[in-house]
Amino acid sequence: MSLLQEISENLQKGRAKNVKELVQQAIDEGLPVKEILDKGLLSGMNIVGERFKNNEIFVPEVLVAARAMNMGAALLKPLLKEAGVQACGKACIGTVKGDLHDIGKNLVKMMLEGKGLEVIDLGTDVAPETFVETAINENCQIICLSALLTTTMSGMEDVVNAAKAAGIRDKVKIMVGGAPLTDAFCKKIGADAYTPDAASAADVAAKFCSA
Amino acid sequence: MNHRERVQAVLHYQRYDRLPLVSFGYWKETLFKWAWQGHIDPEDARGYQREGDNGPADRRVMARLGFDFNWCSTVGGKSCLLPLFAEETLETKPDGSRIIRNSEGLIEKVNDSIVSIPALVGTSLTGREAWEELYVPKLRFSPERVDAELFDTLATESAARQLPLGLQVGSLYGNIRNMLGVEELCYLAVDDEDLYREIIDTVGNLCYQVAETALSFGVQFDYAHYWEDICFKNGPLVNPAVFRELVAPHYARISALLLSHGIGITSVDCDGCIDLLVPIWLHSGVNTMFPIEVGTWNASIAPWRKLYGPELRGVGGMDKRVLAQDKAAVDAEIERLKPLVDLGGYIPCPDHRIPPDAKFETTAYYCEAFRKAFG
Repeated sequence: MSLLQEISENLQKGRAKNVKELVQQAIDEGLPVKEILDKGLLSGMNIVGERFKNNEIFVPEVLVAARAMNMGAALLKPLLKEAGVQACGKACIGTVKGDLHDIGKNLVKMMLEGKGLEVIDLGTDVAPETFVETAINENCQIICLSALLTTTMSGMEDVVNAAKAAGIRDKVKIMVGGAPLTDAFCKKIGADAYTPDAASAADVAAKFCSA
Repeated sequence: MNHRERVQAVLHYQRYDRLPLVSFGYWKETLFKWAWQGHIDPEDARGYQREGDNGPADRRVMARLGFDFNWCSTVGGKSCLLPLFAEETLETKPDGSRIIRNSEGLIEKVNDSIVSIPALVGTSLTGREAWEELYVPKLRFSPERVDAELFDTLATESAARQLPLGLQVGSLYGNIRNMLGVEELCYLAVDDEDLYREIIDTVGNLCYQVAETALSFGVQFDYAHYWEDICFKNGPLVNPAVFRELVAPHYARISALLLSHGIGITSVDCDGCIDLLVPIWLHSGVNTMFPIEVGTWNASIAPWRKLYGPELRGVGGMDKRVLAQDKAAVDAEIERLKPLVDLGGYIPCPDHRIPPDAKFETTAYYCEAFRKAFG
């Protein structure tokens, strides 16, 4: 098994310490950093995403895999910057105003990072203007909105309207997700995409960034 | 028939005169809104906050709406941390939110002006040392965990009681999630499997001992009840194989204890998409799913019944989102419930505590329409 395959395998098993050591070994052996990222970490996380979507693995396995990826990615980050390697896209993510739930939002963030996107996590109870200002200031292509409550999901429409008011609606894709959400609701408020799970969200986000 | 007899009859596929109209309580904000709108006495909104499910205030609100009783009419011993941690504010943020350590040791961000569960920041259960020093002493069994006076009283009142009463067994996994948070719990399973198993066994054994002591008073319980809340919209927050291996044996042991005391109905409260945990619970003697959150994943007792047969019962499955709509939506929901009721072994009930977007009039109409449809 190649070193990059080993990184991918260990990441899928959530062995964070091993992933960190193997990434360091790959760096020391002079493997191109972009290759370590793509064929080691992101390849492993892609498999995790697919298996999660197919109910072959569950939230715990995704969380530990994402943690392993982050430990490996932390070693690569300065080297990627030095080599001028850009993330394949940029998104900001948060739970809408009035809602403090964050597990779903965190899962989507991990999956997006697993697709090679840079993700700015705005946390929970985020005001519509914060999403829009961040998208403008950070040149985000995507705003990802999460809500768990029927009583807070209407806040997503406020973000869509704030993006329109700021004149960035045609420059940014708005994705929505959360337990009470449906595709019909997404269409009704004028967002761009609803996805039923974190792995699908990452697939759609990657498509938006490559379009 | 009284409601105790009706519950037993329905859940054991026997004849009954009418279906009980069961409630699952409310968000406190719902009652304050209804009080502000003049539908209920403000003192009942405050009373429900103090007394909880099936207290005097809840009973008055249920009478106003038309419900018969609250499924969470349960009593139990204390299988939680004892004593609880003293809740303390660790930091106050400029926006008014606070970072606190809650009674179960979680570090959380709370905002008193927001109607939502708190956001998790961290946990006090940081590893074996913290477990042994801070948590093990709080999870030891002692007879004081069961209120002897209360259980003696309940035992003497058992025969005359008209309403069903459940034994609250506690939680075998949700309780642990409440000490660690979802993410830390998942990491612990990988980082320190021995400790992960030890925590599960400690909590399971404590629940057993507390239930055993509670049952020794001779109260005639109509059912037993767990809470878990360990699923989200796409499935469980725990790997089902791990749950089957490590947690299910504790359910099975407690189920055997319950059966030896004549308790054949055991319900578990778990929101979210529970499909993958249902067979594990059922195999371990937990035979009544509650509250069957319909959600966007369209949960229903029908497919479970098809898969698992009559041993699988249910209480819940009435889509609470309807209560924010109008009479036509209620009528449609009642029509949807009719074939499910015909399956037997099933009592409809709102699939969550009634949230603040619910209308009083629509909720009262649901009770009226339910009675017309189901007697």
